[in-house]
Amino acid sequence: MSGADWLSYSLQDFVMFGPQVFLRLFVRINQDLWPWQVLAVVVAIGLPALLLKRDLRARRLAAGLIAVAWVVSGYGYLVGYFGPINWPAAWFGWAFVVQGALLAAAVFFGGVHGHRLPARRFAVFWLMAVCGLPWLAMADSGQWQAVALFGVAPGTTAAAGALAVALLTGPWRWLYLPLLLLWSVFSAAIFWVLQTWWLLLTPVATLLLVGAGFWLSPRPARSLD
Amino acid sequence: MADWFSRRQFLINAGLAGLALKSPSLFANTSGTPSLSPIMRQIPGANENIPAIGMGTWITFNVGGDEQLVAQRTRVLKTFFDLGGTVVDGSPMYGTAADVVGEALDSLGAHDRIFAATKIWTGDESETRQEAARSGRRWGVERFDLLQVHNLLGWQGHIENLKQMKANGEVRYIGITTSHGRRHREFAQIMEREPLDFVQLTYNVLDREVEDRLLPLAQERGIGVIVNRPFQGGSLFRRFQSEPLPDWAGQVGVSNWAEFFLKFIISHPAVTCAIPATSKVEHMKENMGALYGALPDADQRQRMADYVRSL
Repeated sequence: MSGADWLSYSLQDFVMFGPQVFLRLFVRINQDLWPWQVLAVVVAIGLPALLLKRDLRARRLAAGLIAVAWVVSGYGYLVGYFGPINWPAAWFGWAFVVQGALLAAAVFFGGVHGHRLPARRFAVFWLMAVCGLPWLAMADSGQWQAVALFGVAPGTTAAAGALAVALLTGPWRWLYLPLLLLWSVFSAAIFWVLQTWWLLLTPVATLLLVGAGFWLSPRPARSLD
Repeated sequence: MADWFSRRQFLINAGLAGLALKSPSLFANTSGTPSLSPIMRQIPGANENIPAIGMGTWITFNVGGDEQLVAQRTRVLKTFFDLGGTVVDGSPMYGTAADVVGEALDSLGAHDRIFAATKIWTGDESETRQEAARSGRRWGVERFDLLQVHNLLGWQGHIENLKQMKANGEVRYIGITTSHGRRHREFAQIMEREPLDFVQLTYNVLDREVEDRLLPLAQERGIGVIVNRPFQGGSLFRRFQSEPLPDWAGQVGVSNWAEFFLKFIISHPAVTCAIPATSKVEHMKENMGALYGALPDADQRQRMADYVRSL
């Protein structure tokens, strides 16, 4: 195809599903996973408490839980539910699994630093993400069953997970970054085409929380060790 | 065959009765003669007629494993059949749409009521048969009525294979597709030299470029024309639905905007069939309303285009 042919395509041509089908993915996975969401909520809300302790093991546990959330939302939601109607989503699903594996590797191979962290600020950003973003899918769908929980829905998981930047040492942090950026662009494009305007706030929040993650990153001089 | 025919006729009549109750104006024929027969079009060069309104599955039938939506789309397909439709068009590109159509056909027991059209969508030109076989399994059909090369992807090899498949009786008709007005020059060249039964292209009251070259060429070459994007992906409704229909809409057999847009298309003498897509039963009923009643003549078509442009 010529360049002119490619230019004749719009974003809409690459989105092969409608908003109704997309928003029902949240409802369907919530119905199928019940009651495991309760555990996801407990983990999401309780996770900042692990960072309030000045204990590297607790911090590693927090990073490990975020890693699990990447894997579950990637394989569960993206590969299992979104992928069948949108094949690039399945690729992103596997990328989420790799992101989770990367974070897990950081836990085991010294990628989680022991420096002091402004844990209260981290907690504020974290709780804003895990408590605020889940409602956006509900706002667009009008169904409370569409709540997009951390550890289940990829958008909320990526947005809150972006704060893990603050837990990682330099090289790990840069490896962790590309998927956050790519996912934000990909999901924003989909929400734009589907005109799910509330959900469009999720990739925006993800990018802001990446910035927050860097801002929260402690200086090496303030070490716990 | 007789049993099938009577059951089918019963279903069509029952559907028409429902349509008449919903849209009495549809059947209030101004010429004074009843018009309960669907508008059929002959496939050029074949002794076969197909209804002038078919159904597309792009986006609308890609619902994945959502059983609730599969059941709802099954109702849409049932409405389509009940109101006299047969031509269903898909593509392996459309995600799970093929599986959903197959599941709906199974639920309705309607494999014998469909004119099944799909596309070959792979750059590997040796994969034509395998791709058709895969699609056949997903639709639950033994062979397709029509196989088309999707957006000219790998068309040289696929056309040769499709010609061979047609000669072997593995498919009844073959064709090529384009959309959004893309690659019309190359499209015309293929129409001029290949023995195609159908072409599929974009045509609607606003996108009329094909009137200049491709539609006359199809008539000249005896090629059937299937029209995609008759509502310009829904944007015609978004732009015009809040506007009133013209006072003279009844004269051209139109009682809503869906009929207006579709009758404009199928009244072109080169057009065999338009394939609007919808996910709603109510919209399917409106679309199928265009399969009945009067059609605009050439002057009235011009008036329809002028009216839309004036809005």
